[in-house]
Amino acid sequence: MSTETVATGIPVEIGKIDRALKKLWMDNDGVKTRASLINLAIYSEAPGSLSQNTEIISKITENHACRAIVIGADPAAKENRVEAWISAHCHVSGSGSKQVCSEQLSFLLEGPSARLLPNIVFSHLDSDLPFYLWWQEEFHEPMDPQFWAWVDRVIYDSQKWSAFGVQMKRVETAQAEAQQRIILCDLNWTRLYQIRLALAQFFDHPASHRHLREIESIEIDFAPGYRSTALLLTGWLAGQLEWTIAKSSKGNALEFRDESNKTIRVSLNETKGEPISRCVLKCGKIEMRVSHSKTGDLLDVAVGVPGQPGMSQPMPASSNDPTELMKEELMRCGQHRVYLRAMNVVRHLL
Amino acid sequence: MSKSSETQTNPLREGLATRTVPQACSVVIFGATGDLTMRKLIPALYNIAADGELPPAVSVIGFARRKKTDEEFRKEQEESTRKFSRQAVRDEIWNGFAQALFYHPSEFHDAAGYKSLAERLDKIDRERGTGGNRLFYLAVAPDQFESILKNLKEAGLNKAREGSWARVIVEKPFGTDLATARELNAVVHNAFAENQTYRIDHFLGKETAQNILVLRFANSIFEPLWNSRYVDHVQITAAETLGVEGRAGYYEGAGAMRDMVQNHLLQLLCLVAMEAPTDLGADSIRDEKVKVVKSLRRLQPDNIAEDVVRGQYAEGAINGKNVPAYRTEKNVNPESKTETFVALRLRVDNWRWANVPFYVRVGKRLPKSGTEISVHFKGAPLVLFNKEATSLDQNVLVIRIQPDEGISLRMQAKMPGTSFRIEPVKMDFHYGTSFGKASPEAYERLLLDAMSGDATLFARRDEVEEAWAFVDPIENAWAQKENAPPLYDHPAGSWGPEEADELLARDGRAWRRL
Repeated sequence: MSTETVATGIPVEIGKIDRALKKLWMDNDGVKTRASLINLAIYSEAPGSLSQNTEIISKITENHACRAIVIGADPAAKENRVEAWISAHCHVSGSGSKQVCSEQLSFLLEGPSARLLPNIVFSHLDSDLPFYLWWQEEFHEPMDPQFWAWVDRVIYDSQKWSAFGVQMKRVETAQAEAQQRIILCDLNWTRLYQIRLALAQFFDHPASHRHLREIESIEIDFAPGYRSTALLLTGWLAGQLEWTIAKSSKGNALEFRDESNKTIRVSLNETKGEPISRCVLKCGKIEMRVSHSKTGDLLDVAVGVPGQPGMSQPMPASSNDPTELMKEELMRCGQHRVYLRAMNVVRHLL
Repeated sequence: MSKSSETQTNPLREGLATRTVPQACSVVIFGATGDLTMRKLIPALYNIAADGELPPAVSVIGFARRKKTDEEFRKEQEESTRKFSRQAVRDEIWNGFAQALFYHPSEFHDAAGYKSLAERLDKIDRERGTGGNRLFYLAVAPDQFESILKNLKEAGLNKAREGSWARVIVEKPFGTDLATARELNAVVHNAFAENQTYRIDHFLGKETAQNILVLRFANSIFEPLWNSRYVDHVQITAAETLGVEGRAGYYEGAGAMRDMVQNHLLQLLCLVAMEAPTDLGADSIRDEKVKVVKSLRRLQPDNIAEDVVRGQYAEGAINGKNVPAYRTEKNVNPESKTETFVALRLRVDNWRWANVPFYVRVGKRLPKSGTEISVHFKGAPLVLFNKEATSLDQNVLVIRIQPDEGISLRMQAKMPGTSFRIEPVKMDFHYGTSFGKASPEAYERLLLDAMSGDATLFARRDEVEEAWAFVDPIENAWAQKENAPPLYDHPAGSWGPEEADELLARDGRAWRRL
């Protein structure tokens, strides 16, 4: 799919955005089709985030037509400032010469105007479409219940959280205030999707089911800064296999007990490379190994007895690039029951 | 669709897949050097592997007459996969995938070849962990089926060991009439039970065909209107600009009725007309589809011509280029009576569809290519808008199967202005516009389903036989030496013979303009 940004950042007055959008489409030469399946809002307080997120939206809209609302905020600024821009991202659709376009509304909110966030978002949502909010910051108190009640999916990356427990509690509070309507989408969880898939397929065959009860130890190699990702992977295995945390767990040497009180040792090793560069499950003599290949975008998936020839196959790997993670998250859009189970284990490991 | 035991017993699968999980198996392709294998099957298996959905242990064994080594077979398949694959072939994925490709040279009738195949499959089970699961794909002409199936049975390959499975995929045509379909089914069932048999109809693997069920049963606004009270009639069109394109040998004996109507178009009709299934299990859906075929009003030999029009393209032009008449195409009998165009008026005799005609047409060398279903709703009563005494256009819901898959709804709107002028407008949904992701090829979906044991998108024996039972009287009438219904010529590049238009005009209707 080829990409062309037909108009980037036409400045508009906030009160005249709808009119400016209409004009934008009236001026087009008739070969462009506006499409939208979701409202996707991105909130960031990082300097320069507007242009970075515009680039990300440009790539996301290749596969996910949306009304994008990109907000760059600086609540600590002394001066009050509100600015808005409109733009469109057009891509030639796979089926032919037609250009499919997504609208982007961008807002810069500085000083007290940052509090206008709910109003800005509410007044620019495309009606009847789901509202996904990608929150690139840490969550702050107070969490506005009226705002969160409107969100269908909140997307965040727990890998970037400084205080995991506090942040998770805030997310859960927002979710409770929204009467459980929000679906939690953690990009740290998305990061693990392909590794989880690779690990799960070892146990698909009925003859392999018994190996689930035979897991004795797990080794996970994680990159600096990605311990939370490794914990989430551990939490997933423990949550799904109903292991309980043993009191002897300490630091990166974790211990669990299964229903027969067998001990499962999990060792987390920090090493340079991909967020999770290797995960090895040992079940008796059999070793199941998932590791990143040298090319980076593939996983080497192997099973066998160490020292003897075994089976191996490449499988797709998740990318750690935020755009690719978002694309994957938007494509999967799963429920969060399994994630919450994993998070519940992680909470007790912190 | 139907849940496999794996999704229930492997807790690590929870939330990872919304479809049934394919199982490790050996896929044995009979006719491994043929076109279907090179253009569709191996590229489909490669794409499944590249998407990470093929269990690592899955092994593919090509079975064909020509002598060649595993390496030669791999090389050949690599070349064709690079040419025909939906996504670019990546060396690092192909290299792993190719190690799972094997070649087994043997004549189809040679029992020793099957004995050695059984030994080879056992070896692959041990070395690659395929667990004794076998999927046999008959990508050969039907006249080879009997020999292959008999030999598979004699080698004990039709029976799975405990905890494993053996399945067979059969390519169309499933017979040429009811008698041959029954014979073929008997041949298949002599070796494999019905629940081991997967009759492939690639139309059902298309995304939009599957979406018919979602459109009907996941949206509450359509189903209340989906009956004779609100629907005036339904049209199903499968149009091609292409001619026979080197398939004359097959097509001369088949014609449009056997090639398209008996299978693909009746399958689409079933999806449109069926009742809601009790669940999404394979047999629940297929039970409902069979009821539709059984409800089709059988046509009587004496009045076939009233409800069926057959045609054959003469010389004409497609896209501004002159094209020859069917009878002058290579390998076609210059006096051929084979129909390249069929239009039918069908009746589904049940409560839901009483008095609602289903018009079906299919043809080669038509002005444009496209397959679609259009549901034409009855008009509004005109109580308010009858002053100018012009009738309003009907609401039409169109489901486009190919190309440019999507759904559109035509409705009436007031033209801006001071006068009360009403014009039809169209709400249009295009898959390609809304979803940037390319759909998998039909064969990818169907191979995954067969490996998962999900037969929903495969035709069941009774579906196939009932479809032939409906089609046979028409074919028999056409085959009569005397008083056979006429075969009308039409210029290539036209929408079929005028008589096809009259078929609807007699009912006060017209074909939808594609």
